[in-house]
Amino acid sequence: STGVAGGNDFQWCFSQVKGAIDEDVAEADIISTVEFNYSGELLATGDKGGRVVIFQHEQESKNRPHLRGEYNVYSTFQSHEPEFDYLKSLEIEEKINKIRWLPQQNAAHFLLSTNDKTIKLWKISERDKRAEGYNLKDEDGRLRDPFRITSLRVPVLMPMDLMVEASPRRIFANAHTYHINSISVNSDHETYLSADDLRINLWHLEITDRSFIFEEPEDPSSRSFFSEIISSISDVKFSHSGRYMMTRDYLSVKVWDLNMENRPVETYQVHEYLRSKLCSLYENDCIFDKFECCWNGSDSAIMTGSYNNFFRMFDRNTRRDITLEASRESSKPRATLKPRKVSTGGKRKKDEISVDSLDFNKKILHTAWHPKDNVIAVAATNNLYIFQDKIN
Amino acid sequence: MKGQKRKLPPEDEEVSDRSSPFWESQRQFVFSVSLNKYQRGQELPEPSLRRSVLIANTLRQVSMEACRAPSVDMEVSQPQCSSSSALQESFLTAAAIHQSSVMFANSHSALTSCPLVSLNYLSNCATNRSPASCHSSASNTPLSVKDDDEDWGSMSMDPDFSLSAAISSILSALDSTIDASPQAAPRTPLRSLENLSAPSEGGAAWMKQGGRGYGGSWEQQEEYGPRESSVEVMRSSYLSDLTVEDLFQDIDTSLLERDMGVLGLIGNGGGYPAGDDLLRYLPPFPSSSSYSSSSPQHPFSLSLNQNLKCLPSFSSFSPLSSSPSFSPSPSFSGQSHMREGLELEHLMEILVES
Repeated sequence: STGVAGGNDFQWCFSQVKGAIDEDVAEADIISTVEFNYSGELLATGDKGGRVVIFQHEQESKNRPHLRGEYNVYSTFQSHEPEFDYLKSLEIEEKINKIRWLPQQNAAHFLLSTNDKTIKLWKISERDKRAEGYNLKDEDGRLRDPFRITSLRVPVLMPMDLMVEASPRRIFANAHTYHINSISVNSDHETYLSADDLRINLWHLEITDRSFIFEEPEDPSSRSFFSEIISSISDVKFSHSGRYMMTRDYLSVKVWDLNMENRPVETYQVHEYLRSKLCSLYENDCIFDKFECCWNGSDSAIMTGSYNNFFRMFDRNTRRDITLEASRESSKPRATLKPRKVSTGGKRKKDEISVDSLDFNKKILHTAWHPKDNVIAVAATNNLYIFQDKIN
Repeated sequence: MKGQKRKLPPEDEEVSDRSSPFWESQRQFVFSVSLNKYQRGQELPEPSLRRSVLIANTLRQVSMEACRAPSVDMEVSQPQCSSSSALQESFLTAAAIHQSSVMFANSHSALTSCPLVSLNYLSNCATNRSPASCHSSASNTPLSVKDDDEDWGSMSMDPDFSLSAAISSILSALDSTIDASPQAAPRTPLRSLENLSAPSEGGAAWMKQGGRGYGGSWEQQEEYGPRESSVEVMRSSYLSDLTVEDLFQDIDTSLLERDMGVLGLIGNGGGYPAGDDLLRYLPPFPSSSSYSSSSPQHPFSLSLNQNLKCLPSFSSFSPLSSSPSFSPSPSFSGQSHMREGLELEHLMEILVES
C-alpha cells in the first residue's frame, strides 16, 4: 500500500503497546527516541536510562494471515552509562538522544546511538550456531590433557538458541561542546553528521562547498513576544525522495522544496489553538518542548506529535488531516482509533476536548513511520505504541 | 496547565496590540518570567544553548519594548517611559544579564576576560537621573545630566535611545562571550576507540571513579560553583601573577623524596614513574594556603620537569596497592591517557598564562 493517511477509506488501528502500565513512571523508562531501520524489520527505542531496546518484526503466521506480524523484543543492551566530566564537575546524562541505523551491508546490523556527549557505533549480530567437538577442550570449556588425545576430529557447527549480541565497535567522544541533539547518516554509508545546538561535526566526510539558508520572512501582523521562540525549529527531516525537507516549529510543520529557499511550499498547523496560550506555555516551559516529525514511505503524508498524547497526520495530496490519541483505553487488539478533536470555540461538542482540559504532561515528542508499510511507532512518555492500517 | 493558578489578567488571550490596556501588564509578566528563567538558567552548570538564547532574546525584546513609543498614543507612553519602574526594569535587566554573562563565561571556559568595565559604566548611569546620560556605549564617562524638562517624547522616539543602546551593547557582549567561550578552550576530540574488545562501560565507570577521587581537591570549580562569579574572577587574577615555577617553588620536597626512596621509586627504576605519585602529594589546587613551605603534609618532588608538561593525567593514576580508590581499566587505551593529560595540561596553561 502507498501510505495514504486520513480519509474515509483509510483507518488506523491499534496493534501493540510496549511498556509498563503503572501510573508511576520510572524516569529511566521514558522513551527518548524511536527509529525504524531501512527495511522496517527492526524498530529501535532509546530511553533515559541509556538503554536501547530493539524490536523485530515477526513474519505473519500462516494460521492468521489477516494479522500483520508483530514486533517483539529482539535485543536489549545498555548503550550509555552516566559519565562524569571531571573538568567541569558535571554528570553527563546517559539518556539516548538519537538512534540512527546504518544501511545493512552484511548479516550484522549497525546503529549509531548518542547521548549528550558520546556517539557509539553498535554492531548487533546473531549467533544461532556454535561449534562443538573441539580437540583441545571439553564441551564445558575445560582444557583437555593433550597427551590423552588420540585422534583428531573436525568441529561441527550445531544449532543453538538464537543469541543476539550487541557490541560497541566505535566510540566518538568529546567532540561537542554543547549537547548532541541529532545524528544523520549520509547516503554514502561511510560518513555521518552529528550536531549540537551550535555546530555540526562531520565524521569522515568530503566537504561540500555549497550551503543554503531556508528562511521564511516573518509575518509582521502576527508578531508577539514569543515569535522567536515559536519559530525555533525543533526537527528537520529530508523526504525519502530527497526532494523535500520538512521542519517542525512549535505550532506548525512546514514542507520545503529544496529548490526554493524563500518560503515553504506547504504549512500545516499542528495545534493553532495554543497560540492564545503562549504566555502560560512559556511560564510552564512547554513552549520549549521539541517535537519531531516524520514522513511516510512515499512522502505523501507527514506525522507529528502534540499534547494530551495526541498525534497528528497530514495527507499532502488530499489536504486532509487527522488527530489520533495514544492511550491505553483504545488499546484493544485491532481496535480502530477514533479521530479526536480539540474544541476551539465556545461550544464544545460531544467527544471533543477543550483546550484547558489538555494534559500538557502527556506529550508525544517522538514518532516514526515504517519506511514501506503503514505501520507507525509513537512514543508516549514510557510507552511505545505501534499502530497499523486496517487490513480488510 | 490543568489546575494551574493563573497570574495573568483574566484575559489570557495574548495581546499583540500595543495600545491594548493589557499589553503593558502582559509585557511586565513576560519580563519577570524571562528574567527569572534567565537567571536560573545561568546557575546551571551546563545550560541548554537553545533555551538560553531564546530566553535571552525574549528578555532583550520585552525590556527594549518598555521604552519604545507605541504608534498611537504618546501621552500614554510618556509616563511609562519616564516611570522609575521601567527604568529600573531595564537597569535590572542589563545588570542581571551582565552578571550572568560573567557566570556563563566562567562556566564554559576556565577563564575569560570579563567585561568588568561595563559594570562601572552601568553604575555610573544608575546614579544619574536622566537616561540620556548613558548614551553612547563607547565612552565610560557619563555625559552631562540633562534637564528634567527635556522632551521625553523626542528622546524616546530616538532610535538610538540610550537605554536601548546600553542594553544592546551589554547583550552583544553577552552574545560574543557565548560565542567565544567554546572556542576559548577547545577540547581535543577523542579519536575513536577501535576494535573494542570489551564494552566501554568499564572504562567510563573508571573515569567516574577517578573523577570522584580527586574531584574535590583538584577541581576547585566544584567548590566555588558557578554562582560565585566574583570568586572566580578573583582567583583568576591571583593566578595571573604567578609563573609555573612560582606555583611549586616553595614547597618542601624533602619529605616526598624520602618517601619515594622508601618505596623504592627513586633511582632504581621501580615499577612506577615518579609522575604517578605526583598527584598523591599535590596540594589542593589552587588554594593559597597550600603554597607555604611549612606544609610538610604536601611534599612535592622538584625532580619533575617543572614546566608541568609531564603532569600525569588522571588516567595514569596507576593502581598503587596502597590506594584503594582506583582500579585499572584494561580496556582503556593509552590514547585516552594522553588526551586526559593534554586537557589537564591545557587547563594549567590557561590558568597560568591568563
